Amino acid sequence: MSTLTETWKAVPRRRFLVVPAKWRNPIGIAGAIIVAFVILTALIGNLIWTNDPNNSNADRLLGPSWAHPFGTDEIGRDTLARIIHGAQVSLQVGATATAIALIAGTCLGMLAGYYKGLVDQLVSRVIDLVFAFPGLVLAIVIAGLLGPTRRNAMIAIGIIITAPFARVVRAAVLEVMGFPFIESSRALGASDMRVIFRHVLPNITAPIIVLTSVYFSQAILSEATLSYLGLGIQPPEAAWGNMLATARQYVGTSIWMSIFPGAAIMIIVLGFNFLGDGLRDVLDPRVGGVTDAVTKK
Amino acid sequence: MTTFLIRRFIAMVATLFAVSVTIFLMVRLMTGDIISIIFFGDEAATDEQKNLVRKQLGIDGSYYHQYTHWAGRILFHGDFGNSFQSGQPIAPILGHAIHITAELIVLGILIALLFAIPLGVISAVKRDSAADYGARLTGLIGISIPGFWLATLLIIFTSRVFNWLPPLLYVSITSDPWKNFTQFIFPALSISVFTLAIVMRMLRATMLEVLNLDYVRTARAKGVPRRTVLIKHALRNALIPVVTVAGFEVGYLIAGAAIVETIFNLPGVGYNLLHAISQRDYPLIEATTLLIAAVFVVVNTLVDLVYGMLDPRISVAD
Repeated sequence: MSTLTETWKAVPRRRFLVVPAKWRNPIGIAGAIIVAFVILTALIGNLIWTNDPNNSNADRLLGPSWAHPFGTDEIGRDTLARIIHGAQVSLQVGATATAIALIAGTCLGMLAGYYKGLVDQLVSRVIDLVFAFPGLVLAIVIAGLLGPTRRNAMIAIGIIITAPFARVVRAAVLEVMGFPFIESSRALGASDMRVIFRHVLPNITAPIIVLTSVYFSQAILSEATLSYLGLGIQPPEAAWGNMLATARQYVGTSIWMSIFPGAAIMIIVLGFNFLGDGLRDVLDPRVGGVTDAVTKK
Repeated sequence: MTTFLIRRFIAMVATLFAVSVTIFLMVRLMTGDIISIIFFGDEAATDEQKNLVRKQLGIDGSYYHQYTHWAGRILFHGDFGNSFQSGQPIAPILGHAIHITAELIVLGILIALLFAIPLGVISAVKRDSAADYGARLTGLIGISIPGFWLATLLIIFTSRVFNWLPPLLYVSITSDPWKNFTQFIFPALSISVFTLAIVMRMLRATMLEVLNLDYVRTARAKGVPRRTVLIKHALRNALIPVVTVAGFEVGYLIAGAAIVETIFNLPGVGYNLLHAISQRDYPLIEATTLLIAAVFVVVNTLVDLVYGMLDPRISVAD
């Protein structure tokens, strides 16, 4: 009887969720937690902290207190409520711009890498053209010319991050196309669509996932910059960038207004960068880190 | 080598041409009808007045005619047209602005390299030590912190602690070098952090790679002092890719400079671009964007060439 107990004890209990060793990546997990926290804040933050981000029902320029943990702004609106709203705006603009880049970039890169020849030449030249501008400058000019609205900011940011997506996808497709299973699949009579969706796409998901995370952070940073310059989300709607722009006039009297929105931007960007670094380590050691993705080399 | 240089030169010129066409078309296609924006609400405006404005803006006639006129004047006379808002010729404005932006970028690059190189080397040599983690964390924060926020933090810090604010009006380096320096150091610091982080991370990665190579071990085995091996053998080779990255960063610094120039009230190229956008000054938007893109393209081409020359393993003839 006792031997049985001993044996039972010696066998490690099965865990419900077994995490493979390579997924235990502290930086990536830290990033995932930060990102999850910000997404949760955007989704249910205004249910927990029920102050109205647009209602000036308090004294103006208050410092942090229990009633207003992040203080109040120049017309007495609660800064925490505005930061929660800013999280929704940032994630929405970031997600839309990244989705534009993900879809357009993947399609373009796929076309160029799969059909090669003239199509590749055409797509590659367009990509090169976007890369001939510093990204942020191009976003500023596009958003400025189209007019400063949320939709145009999404378009501008979408365009500048489509180019790196297309370039990386193209390179990945070219690599996959060299493998024998593509040739054998074709020899068996598979159509282009079947080869693309059954064989090429599944083999390039790793770099695409890593890119999505890294460029999500870039999209959020770009949105904040555009809003800061008055070319993105317009006041009175709260966005982290335009909150910082307003705060500039009050650096002498109310430094809190400048601290919290900036910290929010840094935290979410840091989260996505951590996540991107972690995902790269786990999924795809070939793609360079944030460093490489950002500097495109 | 010569054919390679010629090919790169032709590619660069082709890119510049494509860039100028893109800017030209963006200003015309993305803005809607410029004339109706300018004359918005002005019922009394006659067609004659509208045509005059069209001519002034260089938007009369076909696109082909407009483009050749615009590009031709820039190419052959260095004439970027007149600012629509002030009526002043744009070329002298840009000439003045480019000095400010150049000073900012050079200072930014210097600060970045000054900190990034020692940090990257220490981080690689003392891998997985506290110093390494500190440097890597600094690197990750550096690529995540918005430059414009950092600029604000710097202003808050110095105004609270030293009760000092950077001078509000631009002072040129020739008239008062010290005042000029105090004015440029904060904007330069805030744009340098991103580059610092990128270069540091890059150098750490390449140093780790180089330190594992045979010739480094051979040098150590021969009895060459550790410091000499690190600096003369390892660092020199690890710096090659870093030079390229730092070169490409110049372009991104222009973008960063545009934002801090507005914060610190320095009338550089980016300041003029943002000012032109808010004033709907289309000729100035075209000119500043073209200037920024042209510098970016030329610098990137030069960096490509320098990279080929620095690293004998890369055959430039390919």
